[in-house]
Amino acid sequence: MPPLLDNPAAAQSYLWAIILLPLAGALVNGLFGRRLGRGNVGLVGLAMVGGSFLLSCVAFAWVAGGTNLHFVGDWWFRVVDPGGRAPISVPWGLLVDRLSGTLLLIVTGVGFLIHLYSVGYMSHEDDAGYARFFTYLNLFIAAMLTLVMGDNLVLTFVGWEGVGLASYLLIGFWYTDDEKAYAGRKAFVTNRVGDFGFLLGLFAIYSIFGTAEFGQLAAKSLAVRPDWVLTSGVFAGWTLQGALTFATLGLFVGAAGKSAQIPLYVWLPDAMAGPTPVSALIHAATMVTAGVYLVARTNFLFVMAPASMAVVTFIGAATALFAAVIAFAQYDLKRVLAYSTVSQLGFMFIGVGSGAYAAGVYHLMTHAFFKACLFLGAGSVMHAMHDDLDIRNMGGLWKKMPSTARTFLVGTLAITGIVPLSGFFSKDAILAGALFSHNAAWPGVGKVAYALGTIAAAGTSFYMMRAFALAFAGKPRTGTAAHAHESDWTMTLPLWVLAFLSVVALVLGLPSWLVGHHYAELFHQFTNPVFGRAYKVLGIEEHSAIWPYAVAWVVALVPGWLGWQMYAGSMKGFPDRFVAAFPAFFRLVADKFRVDELYEFLFLGPIGRIAHGLWRAVDVFVIEGIFVNGVPKAVFAVGDVLRGWQNGNLQRYATVIAIGAAVVLWAVLGAGGN
Amino acid sequence: MATLLNVVLFLPLVGALVAAILPRGEGAQHKTWALGVSLVVFFASLGLWFGFDPSRGAPEFQFETSVPWISSLGIGYHVGLDGVALLLVMLTTALAPIVILSAWNAVQDRVKEFFIALLFLETAMIGTFAALDLVLFYVFYEAILIPMYLLIGVWGSANRVYATVKFFVYTFAASVLMLIAILYVWMNDGKSFDYVVARSALQVSPAVGALLFGAFALAFAVKVPMFPLHTWLPDAHTEAPTAGSVILAGVLLKMGTFGFFRYALPLFPEAALQYRGTIAAVATFGIAYGALMSFVQTDMKRLVAYSSVSHLGFVMLGMMAITAEGLTGSVYQMLNHGVSTGGLFLLVGMLYERRHTRLISDYGGLAKQVPWIATAFLVVTFSSIGLPGTNGFVGEFLILSGTWLSRLRSPGWYAAFGATGVVLGAVYMLVLVQKVFFGKITNPENRHLPDFSVREAFVITPVILLIVVMGLVPQPFLAQAKPSVDRLIARMQAAEQRMRQADPTLRPLVGTEPAAMAFARPPAVPAAAPEPPPAGADAPAHGSH
Repeated sequence: MPPLLDNPAAAQSYLWAIILLPLAGALVNGLFGRRLGRGNVGLVGLAMVGGSFLLSCVAFAWVAGGTNLHFVGDWWFRVVDPGGRAPISVPWGLLVDRLSGTLLLIVTGVGFLIHLYSVGYMSHEDDAGYARFFTYLNLFIAAMLTLVMGDNLVLTFVGWEGVGLASYLLIGFWYTDDEKAYAGRKAFVTNRVGDFGFLLGLFAIYSIFGTAEFGQLAAKSLAVRPDWVLTSGVFAGWTLQGALTFATLGLFVGAAGKSAQIPLYVWLPDAMAGPTPVSALIHAATMVTAGVYLVARTNFLFVMAPASMAVVTFIGAATALFAAVIAFAQYDLKRVLAYSTVSQLGFMFIGVGSGAYAAGVYHLMTHAFFKACLFLGAGSVMHAMHDDLDIRNMGGLWKKMPSTARTFLVGTLAITGIVPLSGFFSKDAILAGALFSHNAAWPGVGKVAYALGTIAAAGTSFYMMRAFALAFAGKPRTGTAAHAHESDWTMTLPLWVLAFLSVVALVLGLPSWLVGHHYAELFHQFTNPVFGRAYKVLGIEEHSAIWPYAVAWVVALVPGWLGWQMYAGSMKGFPDRFVAAFPAFFRLVADKFRVDELYEFLFLGPIGRIAHGLWRAVDVFVIEGIFVNGVPKAVFAVGDVLRGWQNGNLQRYATVIAIGAAVVLWAVLGAGGN
Repeated sequence: MATLLNVVLFLPLVGALVAAILPRGEGAQHKTWALGVSLVVFFASLGLWFGFDPSRGAPEFQFETSVPWISSLGIGYHVGLDGVALLLVMLTTALAPIVILSAWNAVQDRVKEFFIALLFLETAMIGTFAALDLVLFYVFYEAILIPMYLLIGVWGSANRVYATVKFFVYTFAASVLMLIAILYVWMNDGKSFDYVVARSALQVSPAVGALLFGAFALAFAVKVPMFPLHTWLPDAHTEAPTAGSVILAGVLLKMGTFGFFRYALPLFPEAALQYRGTIAAVATFGIAYGALMSFVQTDMKRLVAYSSVSHLGFVMLGMMAITAEGLTGSVYQMLNHGVSTGGLFLLVGMLYERRHTRLISDYGGLAKQVPWIATAFLVVTFSSIGLPGTNGFVGEFLILSGTWLSRLRSPGWYAAFGATGVVLGAVYMLVLVQKVFFGKITNPENRHLPDFSVREAFVITPVILLIVVMGLVPQPFLAQAKPSVDRLIARMQAAEQRMRQADPTLRPLVGTEPAAMAFARPPAVPAAAPEPPPAGADAPAHGSH
């Protein structure tokens, strides 16, 4: 492998191997998995992701050294018109810069740990199910890496839909349960609604720039000004800014689908029907952050469309708060975590929406560590509790499951943003970035997002501590909890690694007033080549105020302390009294504000009825009934009447002639007579 | 080389004639014979594939044979292939052995006649694509009705007579209109039925041209089928035996879209340019309409049939965009639909052979019982809803982007409305998958179904391979279509020029809009002196290729 480290051209030519290794693993396990035996299935799955991780490290070493790797691929498809122009030219090109390089490490690294965890976690499956699981998991890694490394939006879209497929298959992994199969379908269809926006955004970008390759888009966006007026295509007569607002909003609709933001978040809580490693990997650490990645990747387009950035910021803030509120009233441990994921994704969007790109991506990374840790912990608990996830039935697991409990605590403290865990620095960087941002389209949006986000952060601290206290503190409340036992090493090792990472990731985001300029916000410095120009366009300067940190500290500590007191300490009766005082409100929150029901009422029901109505009215009645069968029937009916007149009965003919003659005579003579 | 096309064209017919003298009682012999013949035809057609020259300077029609037939009337035996016809011939010859193999056990009754009909049908289908004489085309086009009528009417299910009559009356009535139009063309192009002659020599007034275009378009729109002329299709599909459904979806519907591409557009380009907006609007409506219809069906075959209405709407939309992207995507989607919808009908047929019901509600939970069938069904489903990596994506993407970049009026609306089909397609197909394959087995009759037999594995494997290969390596297929697409665009551009001579204010109609950025200009009152747009900002990407 030395040439990989010496020669960037060699490293570039190996980039596809990062994707093809897990893809090959999926193929092998998919076609032959049942015969290989489960040991080999696990080995293939792990080895492929492991190999992918090693190659990713090599690629990362290059970008860390300042060399971007760009594999200029052959055409996947390309249409050249008779004039020689070829706007729709899609290459198999891959790009690793400091942004995608970071994501590479997260996806393959966390992915590897979760594969390892799955070896133990899925051991109850039969051979076919075991092979199927690793097939899907490897397929997911391959698709996610395509999404991350694609050097153009079409390839990103390929990975985008590919992870959607893997997510569909894995949510519905236990497909004999109709509800789980439905959850998978719901996820796919909701994502398709988002993809509709993605496609329109993509077409819009094609019609503005004539390319979808990131490098060229970045270069071309340098050479234009937002107030230029476009003269051809769909956007003739629009300003460039208007057209880009359309395009970026389209992309953001896609991002809102994939990253579960309002109004398309509804699929993610149901996605917890999948096996827990899937929830950790796909529905917390990696796939759902794809939307954040997309916005960060296309930052040079977003900065020219401030209205879009305002929308991203506001939707992110609203989602962060909304989901946090719902999480207050959930008793299913995985659902609490699911809503917290939706909420944390909202934070990331506040970051990338208000121009704090490094902070948003940094939070993506820390969230991947601590949320994967929390989910895997939940899975470990689920194993010990025989698949019971109701936190009311737990309690006292701290002593029963020491590794799980301790790592879960680390995760909880990290997500609540208790100093000195990584979540504190990443979340604060986002909120401070929003507070000090200036959006040209909606100047106040940063402050609104700061306010909403701070309340959401306080909520996060409370509900996470509530979940932790109910599950791990006190005494076991059920027999199952009393007999719970710790999981084996394949499951606890990933927990400890992720917990460790949740702590040490803090070194990437220390503020300058603490460690001085040289070591301040290392991740910010690291990603500056990717985002530097966007900062310049937005006029963002480094802030070094201390007071937001103080606010954030209070916001993390006080509600967390309250949560602990209310569920494990001296204020134990309070939550029940609160619920008793506002039963209707509590039920509304527990029912997730009945948004699913609202969508059913507004969209799904009417579309079904319209379809049925159209079918009965247009196809069956008008086309079939009137034209296709009605016209022949009418012809037959007319024929019947006419046939009645020509039945060969001479007497009737004579009668008709006689009457006819009489009428004629009467008409001629009678009329004339008068 | 020219003889090769004649061999491919007539070998199935010769096979059918030989089969006619083989003894009736030996059913297995008939099956083997038909399979053998169709395989030989397929391998012979590979020679066409590799022998075709898609380069710029190559002749438009290759493997050409032109001999007088009824010279007093100007009718000739003139056959030849351009790239699009070649692709469709390949689709036909590839599907034929698959279809024959799929019918192996399904047909128990009148085995001899069944396979003779299939072979006869193959010649007629290839002939339709290869013909370069209007009468010859019409003969092949109508000849298809006979075996198809028999396939549905003799080997179909309960309500087959109604379906056959409807199928026949619909398509026949519409093609009589086309026959009249063909005769009118003959009177106005110097009394020749030759397509190439007619295309260059036809002289008619715009009003008459519009009428002739209407006659052709109507005949082909029935065949496609476009809304609201589609209602024969669900009935024909539902009643047809599996083999009939696969051929109907796989090849026959393409004769409608091929007819637009080969006849309606090039013969009457001015009329086509005038009415393309209307046709595109109807096609776009059909995309959503067909999808909504699929949504409420309770019969699997009817559901897939309505999904064809939706998919063929994509094909027509891409064609009416008259951009290189749209037309190429349209051609590619013809193939894709043949492969994926053909595949769906094959799989539905396999389920039908096991359970003798098409009702979705009779199934459920099958994935546990027949995992490989379920896997194959899922792959074909994802091809049908255009997941990237499968063939369907490339076609849909080219069509929608080609529409967006086209010079239709308000192209964005067409593309956006058409793209709803992408969402709706996922809805109805995944509902079908869930109802048939997921959940628990509730019907005890579903508890002991066998998975693929070896024969069935041979039937479905080529379909899966095609889905993946065409999804990942589309370029060889697109390259074959390129010369035909370019020539059609050139023809439409020439018509646009003629129209512009009459009306100098005519806006551009044909081709792809250039990237707007290349034409971006500063607003009328610039705040500061802006830099001019950089020269060559629109230069094609990846110049090295």
